[in-house]
Amino acid sequence: MPQRSTRWENDLASIAPSDWNYDFAAHFLERAGFGGTPEEIEALARLSPAEAVRRLVYFQNIENVLPPFDHSGIHDPGLEPFPESRPAVTKMAKEKGEALGIKVKAGGDRPLQPIVNKFFFWLRASVLETQRVAYWWGNRMLATRRPLEEKMALFWHGHFAVNEAKVRDYRKTLGQLELFHKYGTGNFRDLLVAVAQDPAMLSFLDAGVNVKGSANENFAREIMELFTMGVGNYSEKDVREAARAFTGWNYVDLKFVVNKDQHDDSQKTFLGATGNFDGVDVIDIILKQPATSRFIAGKIYRYFVRQELTSEVQDNLGTMLRASNYNVAPLLETIFLSRDFYSSASVGTQIKSPVQLAISTYKKLGLTEVPGVPDFNIATGTLGQRLFAPPTVAGWSGGRSWMTPGLLLERGNFVRDVLFPDINFIPPDRANPSSDIRIVAEKVRAGQDISTATMPERGSEGGLAESNMLADRDEDFNTRYGSFRGWQMALERVKPIPRQTADINLTKMAVEAGLKNTTEAVDYFIRRFMRVPPADEKRQTLSSFLNMQLGTSDLSVAKTYMEDSLRLVLHLLLSEPEYQLS
Amino acid sequence: MTLTRRKVLQAGLYGIGIGATSVLPLPPLFARTARALAPQTAADGRILVVLELSGGNDGLNTVVPYGDDAYYRHRPKIGIRPNRVRKIDEHFGFSSGMAGFERLYKDGKLAIAHGCGYANPSFSHFTSMAYWHTAAPNRGDEYGWVGRLADAVAPQAPSNYLVNIDARQSMAVRSKLHTPLVFDDPNKFTREGFYEERDVFAQVADAGNVENSSRRFLLDLARSAKSASALVKEAWANYKSPVDYGITGLDLPKVAALISAGMPTRLYYVSYRNNAFDTHVFQGDLHQRLLTYTSDAVAAFMTDLERLGRANDVVVMMFSEFGRRVPENSNLGTDHGAANVMFVAGKNVKGGHYGKLPSLTQLDDGDNLVYTTDFRQVYATMISGWLGSEASAAVLNGTFEPFDMFA
Repeated sequence: MPQRSTRWENDLASIAPSDWNYDFAAHFLERAGFGGTPEEIEALARLSPAEAVRRLVYFQNIENVLPPFDHSGIHDPGLEPFPESRPAVTKMAKEKGEALGIKVKAGGDRPLQPIVNKFFFWLRASVLETQRVAYWWGNRMLATRRPLEEKMALFWHGHFAVNEAKVRDYRKTLGQLELFHKYGTGNFRDLLVAVAQDPAMLSFLDAGVNVKGSANENFAREIMELFTMGVGNYSEKDVREAARAFTGWNYVDLKFVVNKDQHDDSQKTFLGATGNFDGVDVIDIILKQPATSRFIAGKIYRYFVRQELTSEVQDNLGTMLRASNYNVAPLLETIFLSRDFYSSASVGTQIKSPVQLAISTYKKLGLTEVPGVPDFNIATGTLGQRLFAPPTVAGWSGGRSWMTPGLLLERGNFVRDVLFPDINFIPPDRANPSSDIRIVAEKVRAGQDISTATMPERGSEGGLAESNMLADRDEDFNTRYGSFRGWQMALERVKPIPRQTADINLTKMAVEAGLKNTTEAVDYFIRRFMRVPPADEKRQTLSSFLNMQLGTSDLSVAKTYMEDSLRLVLHLLLSEPEYQLS
Repeated sequence: MTLTRRKVLQAGLYGIGIGATSVLPLPPLFARTARALAPQTAADGRILVVLELSGGNDGLNTVVPYGDDAYYRHRPKIGIRPNRVRKIDEHFGFSSGMAGFERLYKDGKLAIAHGCGYANPSFSHFTSMAYWHTAAPNRGDEYGWVGRLADAVAPQAPSNYLVNIDARQSMAVRSKLHTPLVFDDPNKFTREGFYEERDVFAQVADAGNVENSSRRFLLDLARSAKSASALVKEAWANYKSPVDYGITGLDLPKVAALISAGMPTRLYYVSYRNNAFDTHVFQGDLHQRLLTYTSDAVAAFMTDLERLGRANDVVVMMFSEFGRRVPENSNLGTDHGAANVMFVAGKNVKGGHYGKLPSLTQLDDGDNLVYTTDFRQVYATMISGWLGSEASAAVLNGTFEPFDMFA
């Protein structure tokens, strides 16, 4: 980094064309996307900084041939409205004679069993399909020619954090992701209104129970606390008044509806304004607050630049966002061109999120597809960022909270699993489920009757699932059998995730880069994969290590057998703490 | 220490502890006294273990108020009959599987804090849990209360001061200064590498004069991981206990192993995971089992500590993100509620009841217990009473009157 970069801290003025170089372009691509190959970085470095930034920020004209999500076809209209619990399903079935599109059996054993089976089928199928959506999104992140579109979608996913485990419908989480793709760098008001009226959020924050006379404050509170202003900028009364304005907002299947008779159609006083407000009015009042633009601009800055920002910078960015009428793209353009963004306080100081780590590793390895081994969802989940499963409505905390000592080791283990795929890998979407279900499956196949097969075994209790599985009177239906049968049906209906391993050829990479000796190889890997090089001592250790493994420092001698050794050295390198920095 | 109901009432109690008021400025004299009585932090090796019972434990079916008819009116089907509770006085008894807690209580080593909660309770698992994790109800905080406690008590952030055994780090231990040691399976808390790589992996760069603070943080983490993973593995390999922790153990054997190995850890955080206590449906047998396992594990841990000669140094504080609705639901279970019991177990604990008993007849609009004890009073009790820190108000962002809970 040039000397001047220290003085650039907190300076939002643009860098000059003469400042722009390969390292700046690499830094920009790391943050605005998921890093790049040397070829991609060089292509950006050849542009002027203004051109480079515009290319990523105003990406709408860049052609992007990405396949749409390939639905397995698991949903049918009978599933709507999906009841909140198994007891609710059986109650509905008893009352109406049918539920989930299936009629109660005319006679015979367990007349509600097919309905209960279908209930569990959908729960499991939606979970599995969500894993496929995550793979699809991961592949977009990797293959896209509009990296900022995906990086920004990931930001909004953490901002408007919705968990499939509560929504229980992959179509809703997928639909929300589509909003992030559509409005991600556009107008924040459009996005906010769209998200607020989208079934994913309505379902996640219990909009259905927010009705006139019995307002539920969950959504009203979160929209102010987490989505717009942050705590301290509104009163509890504002929460209650806003909740009244949102009464009646609901959804039917995938459509937003306003139930007029459930809407509180009287005066509200919200943030100092009085009127007969509805939800959109409340959103517009919120957007008028300087706290909102400041909060959003600050959060965007933290995501792309660094965790700490001065009050002054945040004020300036907030003012800028409001001045542009909440258009996000100009704010991004300013940030990515700013001297502050290229200052030493910013460059190489961000801890990669798990998704960023995985995707950028694949990208720098030259992959065009997310490998099926290791499993993308398990790997990112182990590291703390499973897509569509943010820990709370507040999303992921980011920054240093990504890391623990255990997780630093796990990140190295992830790289090992990519470079040396586990031959004992069992696809988690196909593998046997929990032991309870497996035991039931075995007993049923062995010819036991359902009541015997589903007797709980001693000591088999796990966690949540058990409480909902136990002790139904085995007359109308058997919950444990339904749980087993539901899994089985989901396995039939949900398409499998392809399980190809990573297509890695480090020998070819070394030959094409014209590397002559082991020192060059280590230096090439450092430059290709890392924004912050490891200590010089480590670099030398790695060169010696490679020498020893190959029996020579001359790569032309070792060309036919160097693949495994290059992978070992890359595993060592990418396990370094510095590799976690972006 | 068994209290009859009459004695309890004579004691004015349900407040050997202080009662309903939650945020009280501490009078200077009292503060001084508390300080004088408090153990000195740096010198001793006192350890706090926090055990989270996730999912919302049904406190009313845990510490059963069998002496209160209202309990049976609210719970005609799932209320535990007087002849099935393990009576500890004329009013309360434990659920039938809780032999371990009964013994701890009768030995005077178990404190029960009643009516713990906060104003405007959330009925969402993670929102309410986040409030308990951050000790910031209806607000939240960037760092967890255990993390802030570590920052306040040990700002120099010695390594392995704070251990969280779980698959992922709890918000409760998120700390500004400390690197919580987080691991799950001690056998897997390890660098997975090949034989050839061992020497290179053994080499961890010194953070010394690195300017990039994120890089320095990571290098510190790497060193901590390297040293801790070896320590944890060794501690676990060397730990052999004759004590039976029951079916699950709740990670407490791992804590015992680390304590036994002399780890410098002062704050441990473990949990009964996966929302286990979320007993909406047919809760009877399930809830009894959960309590049996918890009770077995905690009692065994105490026995194990005695065996290790460290029983005087450790207390376990137990909580749930909320209690459950007072009336049973139509599925022979209970829904999310509000105020709840907390437990503190340890050899130095003055066993008994603390806090004002919440009314079973005057419930809130949602049929929930109205809290009588701000849960942060119990946190404050751990911070000032047990760990002897004066930082309670700073850690909890407010003054919460501690209970006089320790011998």
